[in-house]
Amino acid sequence: MNSWHDLVTASLIGTERSVVPAVAIPGLPPAEDDPGDPAAALLDRAALLTAARRAGRRPDRAEPLPVCEPDPRPVVSRAAGLRLARILGGEHPDLLSEWLAAAVRRGLRPPAQSLPALLDRARRADPGLRSLVAAAGGPRARWLARLNPDWTFVGTPVLADEDAWRFGDPEQRRSYLAGLRARDPRAARKLIAASWRGASGDRVMFLSVLADNLTPADERLLENALADPADTVRSWAGYLLASLPGSALAQRMATRARGFLYLHQGVHGMRLIVSPPARRDAWMWQDGIGSRGAVALTTQADRARLMLEILARTPLRTWTDEFGLTPAQIAALPAGSWAPVLLAGWSRAAIAQRDQDWMGALIGRALTGPAPATAAEIEALRQLARRADPALGAPDALPEPRPDAPPVIAAAVLQFRYEMLKELGDDNGS
Amino acid sequence: MEGRWDRTRVLALAPDASSLRAAQVLASGRSWPLTGTADDSALWGECLGSAATPYRTVVDLSGPAYRCSCPSRKFPCKHALALMLLWSDGTAGPNGGPPDWAASWLASRSAKASEPKEPKAPADPAAALRRAEQREARVASGLTELDRWLCDQVRQGLAASQRYGYRHWDDIAARMIDAQASGPAERLRALAAVPHSGPGWDSRLLEEYALLRLLAAAGRAQAGLPPPLRDTVRSRLGFTVRQADVLASATPVRDHWHVLARRDLDQDRIRTRRTWLRGPRTARTALVLSFAATGQSLDDSLTVGTQTDADLAFYPAAVPLRALVATRYDTGPCAPPPGTTIGGLLAGYAAALAEDPWLDTWPAVLEVTPARAPVPCLFDAAGEALPLHPGAGDCWPLLALSGGHPLTVAGEWSPRGLWPLTAWDQDGTAVPL
Repeated sequence: MNSWHDLVTASLIGTERSVVPAVAIPGLPPAEDDPGDPAAALLDRAALLTAARRAGRRPDRAEPLPVCEPDPRPVVSRAAGLRLARILGGEHPDLLSEWLAAAVRRGLRPPAQSLPALLDRARRADPGLRSLVAAAGGPRARWLARLNPDWTFVGTPVLADEDAWRFGDPEQRRSYLAGLRARDPRAARKLIAASWRGASGDRVMFLSVLADNLTPADERLLENALADPADTVRSWAGYLLASLPGSALAQRMATRARGFLYLHQGVHGMRLIVSPPARRDAWMWQDGIGSRGAVALTTQADRARLMLEILARTPLRTWTDEFGLTPAQIAALPAGSWAPVLLAGWSRAAIAQRDQDWMGALIGRALTGPAPATAAEIEALRQLARRADPALGAPDALPEPRPDAPPVIAAAVLQFRYEMLKELGDDNGS
Repeated sequence: MEGRWDRTRVLALAPDASSLRAAQVLASGRSWPLTGTADDSALWGECLGSAATPYRTVVDLSGPAYRCSCPSRKFPCKHALALMLLWSDGTAGPNGGPPDWAASWLASRSAKASEPKEPKAPADPAAALRRAEQREARVASGLTELDRWLCDQVRQGLAASQRYGYRHWDDIAARMIDAQASGPAERLRALAAVPHSGPGWDSRLLEEYALLRLLAAAGRAQAGLPPPLRDTVRSRLGFTVRQADVLASATPVRDHWHVLARRDLDQDRIRTRRTWLRGPRTARTALVLSFAATGQSLDDSLTVGTQTDADLAFYPAAVPLRALVATRYDTGPCAPPPGTTIGGLLAGYAAALAEDPWLDTWPAVLEVTPARAPVPCLFDAAGEALPLHPGAGDCWPLLALSGGHPLTVAGEWSPRGLWPLTAWDQDGTAVPL
């Protein structure tokens, strides 16, 4: 509409310096020449044209998008979809991968409207979460990713063959190795052993792949890794060996650890006495704790840190056998100022050794005992709550807390996980 | 009773993000040694907090209205929100009689609700008439000043507008406030953003100035206008009609109103919620407005994707859209509303503009497919397309729901484009965007 354009031009210049253009609207008589203020005339004509242009608007044309291929999987329940939105909105964000994994396992897809937020979240996340999002998102996520360059990671082809191992980036190498370990654990062990010498940068990655489904057959490889010059490699190897029931390292740790923690029968009942090593000895270094050489530990904090490392690597059966008590009874024993160290150390052990009895006992203790105060304790509880049997989140599964206990984060996480998995599990039956 | 609310509906009541977070933390049975509910119409509970005695919280769900012994000034406070979250999860209970401290407040509320509402007669009718006359005179002189200002802008040229700061429009807006013409004041204040709104700003600014001059002219000539148009002009100038007068004078329109879409806007410390309804029997569209000051929650009784059997009272206007819910009979789930074509939407808007040329927000329910080229847009089965409003962005959730297939979309059409607000997924569930 040229006359509108002319009006806009005239209004930009101003009627002091320009003439008010005449306007013609089809079907209306031409506007009479207004003898009055030209500015008023311009505004009146503009008002007329504004209404005419808005009422007479013609539709545009669009370029249709390709159609997304169908996703045969049913969508999760409404409750599960709302919970996903809560997780994406910042509530318990670290439970996202568990939600996705549960949905994928049960053959369900997330609500389509959550996919953009999921893809945005995955874009900033580690490759593990990315591949989970791609798997859960299915064809609709791939379709969206083709429209937004930020999300291209969804469509990246996976190098599944040995090319991935020889030429791939660290992530592709890791996923090749993990796939091989799932299919043929023996071949994976052989590949690690054969590649060990030349791959000092990849050794931690090798061990992290072994961490899934660790078996006694992995012990020799891990014992060899304990001789590695790198502290991180030895620490990983020691940690994995400690979580392998019956491993030689686990037995060594059990023998030593008994000397550092024992039961004391006093006039006020039983309590735990912690007597940490005063120095870091060579055996500790050999079993993956700390760096080389014997060092005297001067501060209390040093001793606490070492005690925590020892506890984290000691088989939990050591304590139940030694004291003749259940995990819940042991966790409830008073330990004075060492209680936070015991909680953190045992939590790590319980997670590594996948010991649900201990996880439940430690969480129960946190609810009924003195409120956890240090950051280390709270973090330990958060980690426990993420890995403990979600059934602990069921109503009445955990002991009622003392009335004045502040709400404990672990209980909230457990309850959230319990409901989350229930929502995703119920879908299967219905 | 309509039963328990879902979590989203409860969370929407939160006055701000921090109370939302606090309530989620508090919403654990462990903080609440006592909770109870009376047939999903009232809730009460005692919450352990930092004080020596627990806070006592009561919620009347029919309002909803809240009372809590905590010192917070927010409504609802985090305790009331947390209590409602517990109830929404099904973990508040047991059902039974409220304790005395809750019962007395609930009783006083229901007593107040059943009191007949006497319309308050003005204390001094003569003085009220004098005030009304004074206001008419003030508005009239304000409109003369506005007209002069608008003509000055066009005389000097709009090219300079990009160099002006907010003051340029705020000054004239403040003079309109002094003249008790709040409608033009609001429009003028919003204009400060137009010169920086991207290509076409000059065209948009001229449109707004032209429509303002039209409003000023109509305001001064209102005595000669047909009554419905006069009502429209007066409401756009800022003359309000009291709710009681609307309820008393309008013929109630009963229908199973489908709640299409909702949009919340924040401006000047006031939050406005626009809820769009459509009646399948009467084929009428209604706009229900709710206002709240910061820290208070908006009316949440109309949930998108449900239908409400209700009497609506429409405000008088040339295109009656704004309405009040006069009587509500029932609420329930409902199927997606039937959508129109793009051509149908434009024809409806054109017809409405013929009655009210200032109308720039028009409800849309479309059967369309989203696309991204040449601009983010929606197109219908005939291949006709309309752009999305630039402020709505790419609207990825809408694309994700569509997957390249048509779907029903509700939103607001404006001359700049369509603002999508609700889409219905494959299963017919309403998804707020």
